[in-house]
Amino acid sequence: MSEQFQPNVVAFLCNWCSYAGADLAGTSRIKYPHNLNVIRVMCSGRVNPLFVINAFQQGADGVLISGCHPGDCHYMEGNFYARRRFSLMNELLEYVGVEPGRFNMSWVSASEGAKWKDVVAGVVEKAKEAGPFDQFRRNKINW
Amino acid sequence: MVDLEKMRTIAKETVSRDDVRYLIGWRQGTYGFRVSPHFMKGPEEAEKLIFSPLCSNNLATYLTLTEKLPVPRGEQPDSRKIAVMVKGCDSRAVVQQLIEKGIERERVFVIGCPCEGVLDLKKVEEKFPGILSPVEVEWSGDKIIFTLPDGVKEVPKGEVLAKKCLSCRYPNPVMSDITLWDEVKSLGDGNYEDVKEMEEKNPQEKWSFWKDKFSSCIRCYSCRNVCPMCYCEDCVLDRLNPQWINRSANISENSAFQLARAFHLAGRCIECGECERVCPVDIPLMALNRKLAKEVREQYEFEPGLDPESKPFQSSYRPNDKEDFIL
Repeated sequence: MSEQFQPNVVAFLCNWCSYAGADLAGTSRIKYPHNLNVIRVMCSGRVNPLFVINAFQQGADGVLISGCHPGDCHYMEGNFYARRRFSLMNELLEYVGVEPGRFNMSWVSASEGAKWKDVVAGVVEKAKEAGPFDQFRRNKINW
Repeated sequence: MVDLEKMRTIAKETVSRDDVRYLIGWRQGTYGFRVSPHFMKGPEEAEKLIFSPLCSNNLATYLTLTEKLPVPRGEQPDSRKIAVMVKGCDSRAVVQQLIEKGIERERVFVIGCPCEGVLDLKKVEEKFPGILSPVEVEWSGDKIIFTLPDGVKEVPKGEVLAKKCLSCRYPNPVMSDITLWDEVKSLGDGNYEDVKEMEEKNPQEKWSFWKDKFSSCIRCYSCRNVCPMCYCEDCVLDRLNPQWINRSANISENSAFQLARAFHLAGRCIECGECERVCPVDIPLMALNRKLAKEVREQYEFEPGLDPESKPFQSSYRPNDKEDFIL
């Protein structure tokens, strides 16, 4: 393979902080890797663990969930629930043998355009290292 | 010590009460070492009740399976209690259902049976193959006494007891209205050695182990049906819109199903081991459940199914929960 592998990363961004943070990175003309497929959700607490499993099934090489910093949630406590939930999800995925770098979670506020760039660069780098995800990807059926 | 006479007397008294609808206990199954649930509607059926090392069924499952028929106009719904016999692990299932408000405390009457460990049928049938007539089995100290057609045999507990019982910390019911006999000593300290061993492998080894197990899944959903904690009326596995997990039995959908099933029990699994017992293809489901139980217990100091007044794990939080996995 002459060209470097370009991973597919699915990012679930909370509407109030991380999505605005990513927007700020855009308007500030900060360059960051383009491997991201952003899905906007109203809160990181909205993200169902099944979304993550489904993203991996449908061809994601990495998943990023990003929300407000603890205590800054627009809905007061959504990200606290998300933190508990995805801490366990992270452990479970590692336990069945999904490489540790594939599932990521971060806190990015609306003013952290520069942090957003670092987070994305780190996530894409880890996904590149781990290579294409083929453990339980859904096979495309050609009817 | 197990006292069947006392058990039957109390069962008769309970089922004769005006506010009890029926009693769920155990009875001899149709053949060999099998045990069936016994739904007792009148005192005359008490003689069939048994309690032996073979009673591995978790009867708490049946509390939420009760059919709720529509009530004819002008009539009141049946608000009588359901009496249920529980071992230590089963009582935690009842408590967890109470925590989640799956059942109401006024609708259930709990009869506690302290238990010295139940048998793993696979180990027993390997030891005594081809036995079809009903068999009597008893506890006796460190041994299990089998009364087989060709004589009485004694087997040390360690050889035939189910794995979950060898490290059981709650042999006595954590909640009961009546406890039938004296409390027993717990057999183990609930260590997670098997989980730790698995954690130390590298991702490729872990996946090759689980891929082998997951690909043998035939998606019969026995594990879900037998689980006392899986009582959602609208299960995500049955839902067609959105259909998160397709019904085809391939490695992708099987893995998604297994991960979803395990995760739905995170912070809720009371480790009764029923899923693993009924699995027709011997997937080590408890290894997944115990991994999550270990994390919940070690990192959050939380154990499901102990205090009916507590809050469910995933619908509560502490501001200082760990977040070392967050970037």
